[in-house]
Amino acid sequence: MKKMLFSLLLIGAMFASQMVVAAADLEVNTPAISAIKGSMQSRHAQLAPHYASGAVGLTKDGMVAVRDANAVPLKDRASLNGVVTAENADRAKLYKEIATANGHPEWQAEIQSTFATRWIDKAQGGWWVQGAGGWTKK
Amino acid sequence: MNALSRLVSFLCLGCYSVFAQAVSEISISAAHVEHAMGDAKNIALKVSLNQPKPTVTLHAALKPAKADAQSKPEDWVQFDLTCDLPKSLNTVEARCINGRLKGKRVDLPFNLEINRLFTHHQLDLNAVFNLKNGSFSDEAGLHAAEKLNGTLSIALKQEAQGWQWQTSLDWQAGEVFWQPFYIESGGHTVAANGILKDDLLHVNHAHLKINRVGELDLDGVIRLSDAKLLDLNATLPKLNLSAAYPLLFKPLLGNTAFNNATIEGDAALALKMKNAELQSFALKLNHVDIVDINNKFAFYQLNANIPWSYEASNPVQLSYDHGSLLNLPLGKTEMNAEVNRFSLTSPNIRLPLLDGALSLSNVSAARIRDEWYWHLSAKLEPISMSDFTAQLKLPRMLGKASAEIPLVTYSGGILTTDGSVVLNVFNGTATVTQLTMDTPLGIAPKLNAEIALRNLDLGELTRTFSFGAIEGKLDGDIKALALQNWKPVTFDAMLQSSPGKYPKKISQRAVENISALGGSGAAAAVQRSFLRFFEQFNYGKMGLSCRLRNDICEMGGIESTAHGYIIVKGSGIPAITVMGYNQTVGWSELLARVKRVTDGNSKAVIK
Repeated sequence: MKKMLFSLLLIGAMFASQMVVAAADLEVNTPAISAIKGSMQSRHAQLAPHYASGAVGLTKDGMVAVRDANAVPLKDRASLNGVVTAENADRAKLYKEIATANGHPEWQAEIQSTFATRWIDKAQGGWWVQGAGGWTKK
Repeated sequence: MNALSRLVSFLCLGCYSVFAQAVSEISISAAHVEHAMGDAKNIALKVSLNQPKPTVTLHAALKPAKADAQSKPEDWVQFDLTCDLPKSLNTVEARCINGRLKGKRVDLPFNLEINRLFTHHQLDLNAVFNLKNGSFSDEAGLHAAEKLNGTLSIALKQEAQGWQWQTSLDWQAGEVFWQPFYIESGGHTVAANGILKDDLLHVNHAHLKINRVGELDLDGVIRLSDAKLLDLNATLPKLNLSAAYPLLFKPLLGNTAFNNATIEGDAALALKMKNAELQSFALKLNHVDIVDINNKFAFYQLNANIPWSYEASNPVQLSYDHGSLLNLPLGKTEMNAEVNRFSLTSPNIRLPLLDGALSLSNVSAARIRDEWYWHLSAKLEPISMSDFTAQLKLPRMLGKASAEIPLVTYSGGILTTDGSVVLNVFNGTATVTQLTMDTPLGIAPKLNAEIALRNLDLGELTRTFSFGAIEGKLDGDIKALALQNWKPVTFDAMLQSSPGKYPKKISQRAVENISALGGSGAAAAVQRSFLRFFEQFNYGKMGLSCRLRNDICEMGGIESTAHGYIIVKGSGIPAITVMGYNQTVGWSELLARVKRVTDGNSKAVIK
């Protein structure tokens, strides 16, 4: 009986977390969100070749990470770190702003994990993405 | 070191026996040798005596010991070395050419000259190591070098107080990335000497010359087991900031507001560390120009004298000739403050700004757990609105702005004000209260405030914004104003004619414009009625409100009617009433309407 109750609770919790994400408007727009998106968009041209070469990969927590700097000439490695740090700062801000714009700052973590799945789904073939078992080439 | 001396003794033992028995060649090979520091396999040592120059050749595959014992074939590094044998048995002078260490991530071709190995059976090494086109990289590529050319000379000798060492490095060419630093080419030298005892490397003196950046003298102690810098005394008398910024500072400034600037000028730095803690430093900046590439700030002819000590409080001075912050010009400024460990205080700092000044008093700042916290009182000495609006590329306004804020606090990236900023504009006042700002220099700055407008001269206001002429006075309340990236996100605004008696006239063009703001909905236009014969009308009251939420403005006027709201209520003869019909309008649509109106292309709808 106890076991069944626990299962019910678990199912309930899972359902509730699904509901949260379902209720959040991920496309919500505010000037802060559009400023962040604009900043990310203008950075994408710098990041795209690094995704393609495997130097940078998409992490399972909705961020990006330097995966193998050897794919990048030495002189560009410092800027590679800079661009990854800046991108992650923007991504963190984006998740926070979307949660705030939805009127639920506490949803940030779930919005972030929903985005993580989205980024990985949308990643082009040949890009490196992080799964439960580590890095894989898409 | 023991291992090295044992190896060398073994080699020489070989030499003696070879000469004694007059053999032409001797080969020693071993399949595998294990040691705590690493493994070696396929070892082949060959001594050839039949050539004009007798040589010794060593080939081996090496693998350093690793914490994770998982062995991969690419971990092995091939080591090759051929040396001339010494001509005399009394010396160990040797020249080794075509030495090479080669693996998957390392390729170090080198020459080695051993000038001396022993004195009185004690190790007394003097060797020169010459690297030709070397490269290496760690697995992640975060510590790597390419096309490295340089000469390293080492002298090492055992003395009573420990191993005495002396080295000089001449880095001639090649690039290095050592996270987060990148050095693109050579031209740097290091000369150093000291004592090595147990786990401590004492540097008695080191002189570093970094090409274009400057020269550095230092002494100190490094603990080798964890590569920790324990003590340090360093002086950098003249640092060229334009060369040092991209090399040393930019990588360290990471994602801060200062990581995207150009910088010119010199700095001098002296610093002292004791027991791995910073004890003191003295930084001087001389004639430095620092300009943000995105024009967020600029300071020219910056001079600073910043002494700091963990033990005592010190006076600091900073001055600049001129500059700008968020497009506002800053005049010649001198600041004096007292720095005590991680806090800073100053009774008064005056920042000339446009034709006035921002005067800060009772300034107190502290850095706690890598975050800045500060508070101060601010007074804005009157600045002219015409200069202010011109600098911010706003429509030109007349009047003066002044403000007095008893308390400004900054904590966790948020700037909060207590008190009010009063702007004297359009012969009236605009009072800003409850002003807070979140990351004003960041990518999506946020601002919250309440604004009260009182007795603004509508005549001057309508001329400034090329709106049709209106005579009268305007009050306004903008509550719960929130800006993101300097764009409005929410507010509750009501603008209406001020109470009291004064001439109230509105031009035909203004009527057209106001009704265009309220949205076209009715059919009767001034042009089609007898009203078109009048240039201006009397009004009793006017007002327009907008409640902005989710990009939608809920509009209203001074009174509601069955189908809309009254924006202008007529009075006397000729009188006119302007109605608004759009209850809600998209914010961008409203902005577009305002733009159409001020551009003078409106079509009016009048009832």
